[in-house]
Amino acid sequence: MSGEASERIELLQGTLDLIVLQALRSMGPLHAYALATRLEQVADQQLLLNQGSLYPALVRLEQRGWIKGRWSTTEHGRQAKYYSLTAAGTRALGQQVERWRRLTGLVDRLLLLES
Amino acid sequence: MLSGLRRLLMRLRAFLAPTHAERELEREMATHVLMLVQRYQRQGLSLAEARRAARHALGGIDQTKERQRNERSFPLLEDLRRDLAYSVRTLAKARGFTVAAVLTLAVGIGATSTLFTVAYGLLLKPLPFALQPERLVRLLTVSPNPEGPAGSPRKDLVILTLAEAADVGARVRSLSAIGLVSPTIMGLAGQDDAGRVPGARLSAATFVMLGMQPLLGRVILPEDETTGRDVVVLGHALWQRFFAGDPTIVGRAVTFDTVLGRRVSRAFLVVGVMPPTFSFPNRQTQFWMPPPVPTAGAPPWRAPLLAKLAPRVTPQAALNELERALRDLRPQESNLRYEMTREQELLVLAVRPALLALSVSAFLLLLIAALNVSNLQLARALARQREFAVRASVGASRGRLLRQCVTESALVGLLAGLAGLALAVWAVTAFQAFAATSSRFDLAGAGELPRIDEVAVNWPVILATIAGAVMVATGAGLAGALRVSSRHALSAVRLGLAGTSTSAGASGAWLARRALIVAQVAGSLALLIGAALLTRTFWNLTHIDPGYTRDSVFTFQVNLPASHYPNERLRTFAESLTARLQAVPGIQVAAYANQLPFVGLRDTAGGLWRTPDATRKAAPEAADARLVSRAYFDAIRMQLRAGRGFEDRDGPEQPRVLVINETLARREFAGEDPIGKLVYVGRDSSPWQIIGIVADVRQFGLDREPEPQFFIDLRQWSTGLPLFPAGAYYVLRTGTSPDLLLPAIRTIARTIDPEAAVFNSATMNTITSLNIARPRLYAIVASGFAAIGVLLAAIGIFGVLAYLVRERTAEIGIRVALGATRADILRLVTGQGLTMVAMGIGLGVLGAVALTRYLESLLFGVRPLDARTFVMASALLLAVATAAVLAPARRAARVDPLAAIRCE
Repeated sequence: MSGEASERIELLQGTLDLIVLQALRSMGPLHAYALATRLEQVADQQLLLNQGSLYPALVRLEQRGWIKGRWSTTEHGRQAKYYSLTAAGTRALGQQVERWRRLTGLVDRLLLLES
Repeated sequence: MLSGLRRLLMRLRAFLAPTHAERELEREMATHVLMLVQRYQRQGLSLAEARRAARHALGGIDQTKERQRNERSFPLLEDLRRDLAYSVRTLAKARGFTVAAVLTLAVGIGATSTLFTVAYGLLLKPLPFALQPERLVRLLTVSPNPEGPAGSPRKDLVILTLAEAADVGARVRSLSAIGLVSPTIMGLAGQDDAGRVPGARLSAATFVMLGMQPLLGRVILPEDETTGRDVVVLGHALWQRFFAGDPTIVGRAVTFDTVLGRRVSRAFLVVGVMPPTFSFPNRQTQFWMPPPVPTAGAPPWRAPLLAKLAPRVTPQAALNELERALRDLRPQESNLRYEMTREQELLVLAVRPALLALSVSAFLLLLIAALNVSNLQLARALARQREFAVRASVGASRGRLLRQCVTESALVGLLAGLAGLALAVWAVTAFQAFAATSSRFDLAGAGELPRIDEVAVNWPVILATIAGAVMVATGAGLAGALRVSSRHALSAVRLGLAGTSTSAGASGAWLARRALIVAQVAGSLALLIGAALLTRTFWNLTHIDPGYTRDSVFTFQVNLPASHYPNERLRTFAESLTARLQAVPGIQVAAYANQLPFVGLRDTAGGLWRTPDATRKAAPEAADARLVSRAYFDAIRMQLRAGRGFEDRDGPEQPRVLVINETLARREFAGEDPIGKLVYVGRDSSPWQIIGIVADVRQFGLDREPEPQFFIDLRQWSTGLPLFPAGAYYVLRTGTSPDLLLPAIRTIARTIDPEAAVFNSATMNTITSLNIARPRLYAIVASGFAAIGVLLAAIGIFGVLAYLVRERTAEIGIRVALGATRADILRLVTGQGLTMVAMGIGLGVLGAVALTRYLESLLFGVRPLDARTFVMASALLLAVATAAVLAPARRAARVDPLAAIRCE
């Protein structure tokens, strides 16, 4: 369904990290622009996100050691920083996904109970 | 949580080395923006529109960078760093303010830091020579003092024999150990200037009680005491100075001369060396020996008591138990009153009041300095009001601006702290140098500062000084910071209201500044009054009539090896030395005596009595005996009040005569003429006739009442008691300088005996100066503080009034245009200034009245509430303050009304 500005959802900080990790896992090494474009594609306009907020997330993930940035050349010959998942990052992704599923499952159950 | 820790470290790294990360971010975002721009261009936008869209998509380039920065480092620290960098720039631009503020605060910080360091080292730091030093106590007897000032009783240490100590120790449960310590002096022959070395004789139990480990060898043990072996434990300084720190010293024998009592040269076995911190019982003591074993028939060794409280026992409880034990032990003295004091307090008793007074003065100085800096910062903040308002209007929050001001104040504090620390290091070194030059252990009440060698500027002091400076500076700047970043102030300027002097906020600032000036004036007056009192004390001390002439008198002592010079031969040497010195051109009179003025020995020679009695003992407050050579009175030009002095005819076979001093005449012969009366000395049954009365000499200190003394010519003195227990003191009346004299004296002494060593040489003026070294120190320090305080207050007054004049230039111009004369303007501004000064003086007088009573024990010849001192100090401050007020007032009076109104 097409999203309008009013229906866009804002992301919480922790979930952006999760999404970035997942995107890197499924797509392989990406640079910031590619990552932002990918997220736009997948969310199909439903995500309220300015591309700049990727940068804090990337630096956070890099500092935790879950992703690693490396300078490389794009297909157009430009220098860009490519981020890839580390082994620790893969493990962390698994843990975060697990936690997310548990959280959403719990919220769903609670909401179901209340309705 | 490892990833969390890793993140922390990475953030720290990014904070400390941001350049690399910053450059990478720049490159990364450049590429990102480029790709976005190309995409939008492909979608059909122009370059400019594409760029705008790209920025929008990112959510702003600078904002994104900022967010990344905050995430990769510590935002708070980054802000702090930025604030610091900004503060450094602004302070460097406002050099006048920075220099003034830092210097002012540095002086206050330096003074406070110095005094607190010295006070801590002397008063609070635990004694270094024992485990649990706070439990060491002394016992004193308290008896009325006929010669002292009213209300101050005489206190003497309780003295016991070894047997009594053991007895008491067994009975008194509340003391875990009892020791006996007695100072002693030994001669150390064979070195130049060696002469006498002070040490201590102590019971073996004392070392056990102290519990300190030796550096080499062992301490005195109980078997040393029982076998009576001649052993010695050396102090570290002695070991270094005379034995070159020889590590094999333990087990070797060292020759000491006993000089108290029978002069004998003896070999002592060195059994140990103590570490440098073991300055027991004071820092002059250089060696320790077990008690001497008395020869048959002689009285047993006795020494003052030093005890250790048992755990969790109060001094009062121990005192009660001890009193009971002593009364059982000595029933004939059961009416004596006792007192128990901690050793730590006793050691520093003489300097504690002064240290506290000087610390309070230093603190007052700091307060004045802080008030000055506060005023400076307030003025500066008000001047930057516009700048702050502009920054507020482009988005800086109040908190941010406040933080900026605080950072700047803290930076000023840091600089002031470092400068103040340098000042403190210098001052502490000066204190220690002072103490080093002013200590001679044979002189009573010398300028010595006990425990001064334990004072050091160490890490706690450094950190405390800097932290204190930062806090004071921040506090001083807070008023200005709060005022300037207040909502009202920021909005008032934004609304374009003209001039800060008309807004309500600024009048509050004005009131604050005036209050600060009043406080400064009050503080500096208090300092000035205190300094004046101490200075007058010193002046009084230097102008007491000493009873003799100090100028052109040179004194010294000679150390002779005991092996060649038993007691009997001492006089022979002295006679030949003085005879030869008398013949030297430039020396008018040469004489010798058993003591000099200011030497702290008591020698009653059995006391002076009106009637003979072969069994009595001298009471502690009996008159002092002065054994002098014939020319002694002449050498120091002792003032004769009645009768005559010693003449050639008072030889050994002639009728025995003696001279008494005024105090003794008053005490024993009140209402009668002492001249011609017969008296008896000690247990001797043959009489002496009083032939003259001399002026009083203040023997134990210029600030103490003179004690009764009598003088006997040595030619007529013949008992077997040891002469010169501290060595003979030679007195020369000569105008020649000591530098020329000393080598000549040494040569002559060595001609008589090659092993003679001259020591303790000083002019009488120097010795007198030593005696009042402490009051001089106090007067100098207090006056220094007062001078700086008054200067700061004057600068403060000047600054505030100059600011006032500048701010109200327009108003003054209007007044003049409306007919006010120069005199009117002058009166207006002066009136403002002098009101503050008057209020400050009033407050200062009240403060001084409350505080000077604590100086009582330091004063001599002047009372704490001396009206003349108060009036003169106030007048001086008023004069200085008036000068500070007149300068801006005169400038105000010269304001050109047209120019003033025009520049509005």
